[in-house]
Amino acid sequence: MSNTVLEVERLDVEFPTYGQAPARAVRGLDLTIGEREIVGLVGESGSGKTALARAIMQLVPPPGRIAGGRVRFEGQDLSTLDEEQLRALRGRAMSMVIANPRSELNPLLTVGEQIGNVLKYHLGLKGKELRERVLEMLREVRIPDPERRYAAWPHELSGGMAQRVVMAIALICNPRLVISDDATSGLDVTVQAQVLELLKRLAERHRTAMLFITRDIGITAHFCDRVAIIYGGEIMEIASRDRFFANPMHPYSVLLLAAFSHNPKLRSYWLKEGEAASEAQPAETGCPFATRCVRVREHCRSVHPELRELEAGHLVRCHYPVERRA
Amino acid sequence: MTVLSWLGQRLLFVAPQLVGILFVSFLLVKLIPGDPAVLMLGPFATPDGLARLRAELGLDRTVVEQFLIYLGNVLQGDLGTSWQTTMPVTSDLAQRFPATLELVTLGLLVALAIGLPLGVAGARYKRGLLRTGADYYGLLAGALPDFWLGLVLIYVFYTMLGWAPAPLGRIDFAVIPPEPVTGALLIDSAIAGNWQAFRSAAGHLVLPVLTLGLINAGPILKMTQATTERMLDSDFSRYAELCGLPRKVVVRQALRNALPSVITIVSVLYGFLLGGAVLVEIVFSWGGAGQYAVQGVLNADLNPVLGFVLYSAVLSLFIYLIVDLLYFLIDPRTR
Repeated sequence: MSNTVLEVERLDVEFPTYGQAPARAVRGLDLTIGEREIVGLVGESGSGKTALARAIMQLVPPPGRIAGGRVRFEGQDLSTLDEEQLRALRGRAMSMVIANPRSELNPLLTVGEQIGNVLKYHLGLKGKELRERVLEMLREVRIPDPERRYAAWPHELSGGMAQRVVMAIALICNPRLVISDDATSGLDVTVQAQVLELLKRLAERHRTAMLFITRDIGITAHFCDRVAIIYGGEIMEIASRDRFFANPMHPYSVLLLAAFSHNPKLRSYWLKEGEAASEAQPAETGCPFATRCVRVREHCRSVHPELRELEAGHLVRCHYPVERRA
Repeated sequence: MTVLSWLGQRLLFVAPQLVGILFVSFLLVKLIPGDPAVLMLGPFATPDGLARLRAELGLDRTVVEQFLIYLGNVLQGDLGTSWQTTMPVTSDLAQRFPATLELVTLGLLVALAIGLPLGVAGARYKRGLLRTGADYYGLLAGALPDFWLGLVLIYVFYTMLGWAPAPLGRIDFAVIPPEPVTGALLIDSAIAGNWQAFRSAAGHLVLPVLTLGLINAGPILKMTQATTERMLDSDFSRYAELCGLPRKVVVRQALRNALPSVITIVSVLYGFLLGGAVLVEIVFSWGGAGQYAVQGVLNADLNPVLGFVLYSAVLSLFIYLIVDLLYFLIDPRTR
């Protein structure tokens, strides 16, 4: 990766909670994405995935706020830009593909208008030229009968169709970075596969880097150049896809992978007994994963592990990384 | 579903709705204590005379019979006679209903002109002078009685400053009113090209319209602000922000999504004000339909009351029809 598109440095995102210390959704997170690189970010609900995505766009939903660190986009520190400059970046140079597009599209505007709006306000296109570009983009995201869909309303679209529309909106200005936030989670598995395939092809064709956020670690296996695992707002493990899947070292990564396994022994070994994942909170001191780790030791509960490079380009935040058994 | 077939369906229900409304109000009016015969003949009436008048008015029959007779007359376009004005109710209302309509329509337009922009601004800037001002205005407009505001306006602009004409009706006594076509003085005088009458009527409209406008801007402001704020907070507005659309475009889209609620509150206010503007009408000696109906209630003069209810009901149904058509236009999901 020669040039970096995005550099996230020690980013903190906080949400104030009534009468308590603010909840830290993202904690001192570092992440770099190179030109045309696809980085998969895997984590469960509440792990800080979406907060990270919004923070990169400099649009953390209030009352949340960026409490520390910085986001550099093409070398530019976004915190130094004013609202108008950010607005000019969003949707044009860095765009987002969202989940549940049917509730996020404006119900009172046609598909054509919503895709066209981005072109209109970012590139100043109008009239016939704008319409042509929108239709071209609709064809590119493989929407059948684009002329008819141009005039369709969001409520007339199927989930997969709406997802394609949102992808068209994200890509029509040829952005340098696309953030896909759990974009395919609402779709049927077969549709999901098609949409993913399309998204990957589009990213290649538009020469776009991508941060691909998902809950499904399986998707990243044939989609991403690098894989990062996030838990409790921190990166637990990050490596190239091949290294990661060949040699996952963090117990949480192994747990996520084991969840896909057909071997019930393997699954139950990595899952801490009698504890539902949703109930366990990331630990405040020590390793955030300590409360759910089957390999936890005394040391883990008191000392916060650093992200260590254990192989070239393979970083793990664990005192006792999983050794590969022969 | 096409607009036409939907419209046909709606109109099909209008007739039974009207009969129902009329029946209920007939029963309610009959519950008002007071014998019209006694009131009409005065304290020196003989029992004989009273009985004869009651029979003449049909008051000796059962309520249902009375209603059916009344309904039959209504179907022939006869709404009875008001014993106070000794005129047919239809000709009384032909004069007074347009007076009220003109007042209420203009009043609500003013209310919209004040409430809508203030509401949008209040939703857009959640803090600051404008929002505080809008909040206080909404509170004040909700707390002030309209007739009181009317009196204050009269005191300031007529008594003190002398800018407004005397609050005595819709037009100067010295000015010859235009030939009635629609009944609304502004429109009629414009049709007749009688600009002296137009100016006079407009001058008389200013204070009562301002009174209604300033007061009713309150609920419109509140509704606009609350709904626009909710829309600005919704998924699609946040997505529009993520797409980097200009702030004013995001606000405009939010307002458009909020419009159905604003239209609803305006239509409710409209129906309410047909009778609810009565105190303002009294303060300005407007001679409107609300005043006419209230006098009818106070003097057991039933025909004007029922006539007013019928006119208002028809108008309200018409307004709701227009409201539904507007929803149709705004929101593709209702089509």
